[in-house]
Amino acid sequence: MILLISTCRYNFHEYEFVKPISRVVEKCNVSYDIMRYNEEIRLNKYSRVIICGTALKDFDYLNYVDNFKWIVDYKGGVLGISSGYQILAKIYGNQLEEIEKIGLYKIRVLRKNILAEKQEFYAYFLHKYALRNVNRKLIPLAKQNDEICMFKVRNKKLYGVSFHPEVLNEEIIIKFLRNI
Amino acid sequence: MKVCILYSGGKDSNLALLKAYNIFRVVCLVSIFPRSVENSLFHYPNINLVRFQSEALGIPLLTEDSLDDEESNLEALYRVLGRAKEKYQIEGVVTGAIRSTYQASRFQRVCWDLDLWCFNPLWLTDQISLLKEALNSNFEVIFTRIAGYPLKKDLVGKKLDYTIIEYFKKISNILNPAGEGGEYETLVLDMPLFRKKLEILNYEVVGDDYDATLIVKDVRLVSK
Repeated sequence: MILLISTCRYNFHEYEFVKPISRVVEKCNVSYDIMRYNEEIRLNKYSRVIICGTALKDFDYLNYVDNFKWIVDYKGGVLGISSGYQILAKIYGNQLEEIEKIGLYKIRVLRKNILAEKQEFYAYFLHKYALRNVNRKLIPLAKQNDEICMFKVRNKKLYGVSFHPEVLNEEIIIKFLRNI
Repeated sequence: MKVCILYSGGKDSNLALLKAYNIFRVVCLVSIFPRSVENSLFHYPNINLVRFQSEALGIPLLTEDSLDDEESNLEALYRVLGRAKEKYQIEGVVTGAIRSTYQASRFQRVCWDLDLWCFNPLWLTDQISLLKEALNSNFEVIFTRIAGYPLKKDLVGKKLDYTIIEYFKKISNILNPAGEGGEYETLVLDMPLFRKKLEILNYEVVGDDYDATLIVKDVRLVSK
C-alpha cells in the first residue's frame, strides 16, 4: 500500500498535481491512500510514500516541514516530487535557493541509479526553489544546468526530483513503485 | 477566490469551467482571438461565438486580438489577464490545458508574472475519459475543424457521440483523441451551466478530408 501526500493548499490543485500520480499508481495495480501535508501523517500500513508537487505560487507546505520529520526514521521508500523534493532537502538540513524554472529542460544524469537509466532526458519543471549544492547526507544523481534536480538520501531509500516526472517521465514513478 | 476561465468555447475550456464553477467564484471569461488556424496557442475556428456562450452562461467576457506569432499571443494574454485583474479583481486563472507542455508552460509563466494562481484541472487526464466526461455531463459538442489523417471532412459539423469516441479509440495510435494538438477543434452548443443553448442557423464547411473547417454564418440563442 502506497501513501500519496498532497502538498496543495487548494484541493482544486490536486486535479493537476495528485490525480496524475494516482493514475500511474493505479496503472501499476498498487492500492493507495491520499493524505494532506497539514494532517497528522500515520505511516503504519504504507511501504512507500510519494510526496506530490503543487502550484508555482503555493508555498504553504514550507510552514509544515516539521510534519514530515517521520521521514528520518521511516524504513520504506519515499519519492519527493518538486515540493516533496524541497521538503526532503530541508529535513536533511539543506538550503533551498531561489531558482525559478517553468517548462521543458534537458537533464544530465550524474550517477546511474534505479530510477533514471538514460544519461540525458527532458523533463517538465515548475518550481521557484531548488538546490545548487547539497550537504553530505544527500547524493546528487542528476543536474539541470547548475541545479541538482535529482538526489538520493545516503543509505536510505529516499529520492527527490525537482521536476514533475508524471508529465514526461512516468517511468520514474513506475520504477519507484516496482523497485524501491 | 475570484477566478477567470481562459475560454475558447470548445469542450476543454467548458469542462474546466464546469469543474471550477462550484469551487470558485467565476467572475469572467477571457478569450484571445487569433488571426488564423495557424495559431499554436489559441483555438481559432468560430472563436467569435464565445460572445454567445458568454451570454448563455451569464458570465462577462473579456477579449483581445492576437497575431499568430508567439510574442503577440503572449502579449495578448498579459493584456487580457491584466484587464481581468483590474476590472474583476481575479486572483486565479483556470485553463483547459490537457497535455501540451508548450501551452501549459506559457500559461504558467504569464500567471506567475501577473501574480495569479494557475489552475489546470484537466491536466494529464486520459483523453478518451475527457470526451466521455463531456458527454456524460450532458454537453452538446460539435466538431468545427479537422486537421490530419485519417479524419474525414464529414466529421465537421457532427455532434460528439459514443460512436465517435469509439472511432477515436480505434485510431488513438495515430491521433491525439482530445484534439489538443489541433487535430480537431470543437464548439460547445450546450452544457449544464448554459441558461440558453446555441442554435446554428446557417453554416458552410470548407476544405477537404484531413483539413476542413466549419464556418458558422448565423447563430442564435434559444431556450433550453
